[in-house]
Amino acid sequence: MERRKFLSLAVGALALAVTPAAVRAEDFRKMKPKVWKAHKVDDAITAMYGTTAATKSGVTVTTPDVAANGGAVPVNVKSDISAKTVSIFQDANPEAAVIVFECNKYTIIDFDINIKMGASGTITCIVEGHDGKLYSGTRTLEVAAGGCEG
Amino acid sequence: MKVKAKLKKGIIKAKVLFKHDMLTYNQAEKKGVKANFITHIQGKINGTVVYDGSTSQFLSKNPIVKFKIKGDEFKKGDKLEMSWVDLAGNTKSKKAKIK
Repeated sequence: MERRKFLSLAVGALALAVTPAAVRAEDFRKMKPKVWKAHKVDDAITAMYGTTAATKSGVTVTTPDVAANGGAVPVNVKSDISAKTVSIFQDANPEAAVIVFECNKYTIIDFDINIKMGASGTITCIVEGHDGKLYSGTRTLEVAAGGCEG
Repeated sequence: MKVKAKLKKGIIKAKVLFKHDMLTYNQAEKKGVKANFITHIQGKINGTVVYDGSTSQFLSKNPIVKFKIKGDEFKKGDKLEMSWVDLAGNTKSKKAKIK
């Protein structure tokens, strides 16, 4: 088990080293499967970026204060930071990761998505800047009726 | 899939509605079927990737996404092609003219 873990780490490191500049985000589900399995937001962030250390500014997450329908909670994230990736996590579902965007020179960070939230909770958005630093923004909201049960 | 895109003052605003059940593992278990949800979404204009996201089971059913991109290199009449791949390997794509 340990050897397998080490091997997968090594392969992961190699894959990262060889990665060309324009990585397709599809790779994130394959390259970093742990991100998608992590239950806690911090574990998912660490699996994605290697750390949870982030400057808590520069990222705005907007949602309604109370979501009437947990099956479709509108979320908007905005940032002016020059970014490589933007990830959104939440702590109200079985797994924490929601979406990871790959940014390029055309990207304006002003994303709208609608998500399921099983209960009231906090949404965390991490922006990975080209300066190598992480920036975060959070938003806590109430969900009237949970959205994961169908 | 419905795709709308408008170019105004150098910014392209896009709104996309995907038709997909986005069944989470929990929901699928209750229905006795396999979980299936969109795992990757991509948007291209003239073959250039302008939107790229890996997703989880937690986008809503029939998810709607909106995004903005810098449109200096593009013009009205160019086509925005949105496509997705899901857990089962199905793919779908749709083109729309940027207005």
